[in-house]
Amino acid sequence: MTALSPTPSKKYDLSFARWVYDNVDGGDRLALCMQCGTCSGSCPIGTQMDHGPRKLFMMIRAGMKEAVLTSNTLWNCVSCYNCVVRCPRKVPVAYILHDLATVAVREGYAEARNSDNARFAKAFWWSAAKYGRTDERLVTGKYYFSFGMAEGYKRGMANLPIALGMIKTKRMHLGMPHACKNTGELHKVLAKAAEIEARDHGKQG
Amino acid sequence: MTDRQPQSRTIMVVGGGIAGVTAAIEAAEAGYDVVMVEKSPTLGGRVAQMNRYFPKLCHPTCGLEINYQRIKKSKRISLFTLSTVAAVKGSAGAYTVTVKSEPRFVKPNCTACGDCAAVAETELPDPFNYGMKTVKAAWLPHTMAFPMRYVVAPEVAKTPEGERIKAACKIGAIDLDDKGDTFDLEVGAIVWATGWKPYPAANLTAYRWSDIPDVITNVEMERLASPDGPTKGRIVRPSDGAVPRKVALIQCAGSRDLNHLAYCSRICCLASMKHAAYVREQVAEAEVDVYYIDLRAHDKLESFMRRLQADPQVRFVKSKPARIERGESGGPVVCGENTLTRQVYAEPYDLVVLATGMQASVEGDGRLAGAYDDYGFVFTEGDSIGAGVASGPLDVSMSVQSATAAACKAIQLVSGQVVSGVRGQE
Repeated sequence: MTALSPTPSKKYDLSFARWVYDNVDGGDRLALCMQCGTCSGSCPIGTQMDHGPRKLFMMIRAGMKEAVLTSNTLWNCVSCYNCVVRCPRKVPVAYILHDLATVAVREGYAEARNSDNARFAKAFWWSAAKYGRTDERLVTGKYYFSFGMAEGYKRGMANLPIALGMIKTKRMHLGMPHACKNTGELHKVLAKAAEIEARDHGKQG
Repeated sequence: MTDRQPQSRTIMVVGGGIAGVTAAIEAAEAGYDVVMVEKSPTLGGRVAQMNRYFPKLCHPTCGLEINYQRIKKSKRISLFTLSTVAAVKGSAGAYTVTVKSEPRFVKPNCTACGDCAAVAETELPDPFNYGMKTVKAAWLPHTMAFPMRYVVAPEVAKTPEGERIKAACKIGAIDLDDKGDTFDLEVGAIVWATGWKPYPAANLTAYRWSDIPDVITNVEMERLASPDGPTKGRIVRPSDGAVPRKVALIQCAGSRDLNHLAYCSRICCLASMKHAAYVREQVAEAEVDVYYIDLRAHDKLESFMRRLQADPQVRFVKSKPARIERGESGGPVVCGENTLTRQVYAEPYDLVVLATGMQASVEGDGRLAGAYDDYGFVFTEGDSIGAGVASGPLDVSMSVQSATAAACKAIQLVSGQVVSGVRGQE
């Protein structure tokens, strides 16, 4: 799909930083970061990130590709957008973290692929792309069984009372999954989007 | 030199702060007639509202007093207070400026005895103290007012209270029929010394200035520390009047921020360090934390910064605080990330001072100078002459230098050395 990001070969190698500026969503504003710390300070779960966005951005500049793409900061973002709103340099922090997460998965980093959030995002996207809707049973099922049959069964059973409660209060339905009216058209739209992304990725403007 | 001689050799200075006063005096002492136009009832501007100022931490009384003496001695300076420029026509050498004066309701024979204030009942927010206290509807703008004349608020002029104020004046200096005036003046050059205003702290919603009383701004801190301020110079918490033991000074509150002021306001770093010094002088056990992105000790003032860095009770924290929350006791809690240690902190304080930046005071239709930069400051080029902070963020000494340069440019214009921005070349 897209060329893999370059791996810095020596100290002070800016190739990875430049690749991020050009290829990651919002990366064009990353060079404006002045390391003030507003993003990491605004983060509601900043204490649970190994680096936090500010430090992660400095690591990108320092060419620490491996450490950046294995960081839990990419996955712990809850998309509250406090950092995006407050950033004095208008760096779209959350967009950058999200796109770096997809880069990490695409490039096969085990920490990224096996992270909880990556598994859940994958299950969510599978349902959304297939049906045009998310179905709670399918998304949770796919997510649970991504950990293996035994673990999936265990997690499913542990959450059974919640599922039954949701069915009882009509928050979850039985029967066929919800789907949008014309899934065939949706699949065509998504295929076209993937084609455009593959063609234009990395191009400016 | 030039093919066109200026028709008027009079220089107009708009604004009566330290820059306007300096430009007027320099031009007058060089032998040119000067007309000063000042929006408020008195000269002195923002400098008069400070406790002390750099480089030598003088009280403004000192610098202003010297300049007022020079104005009094000069026969060439005419002053219009409570006046603004409504329109400018013509070009360099021959401007026609329309000046609009608001009524003061007090005649020049006022002796500033204060009898009028004694009978006034209505209280208004005191602009000199940024609304931190009130003044009577007949008041002296401040102890260093020039001219030393009272003002009667238009709100009471046509009321029975106004009549009582008039009756209280033994020398008949109150004129309740004062309607102000609008008139034209012919001048050869205009120096714009319209100054600055603090960036509105209410816009910085994450810093909670509007709803946590112990979060104040740097200009409010100057008033708190001033002997003629609302607390007679005692630095206290606005909420309960207690002496603050733990004080946070937050830099770049609104400056260097694309959501607010995109530029660095230059003076705030040292202004905050001056505030740290005020607190340390008054409260021996006080601890002061300075939150900064970068420290900018401009001019020759790095030694002042070094002195504070050597103080064990002043801590410099490299961090732009993300937000201020209300703690359990109701006081402010400063939250953010220390960017040197990567520690996410939430520190409670007795008092938080926001170093809000400088914004050009004239906006929109009031912008009558020849050229402005992207941030709304006067761009000095050709016949567009800015002085002091009207031309960009400056401290007092730099404003004085800028104003002296502006006077020189104005003199060049009216003396025919330069016309319409074209430097006189053969």
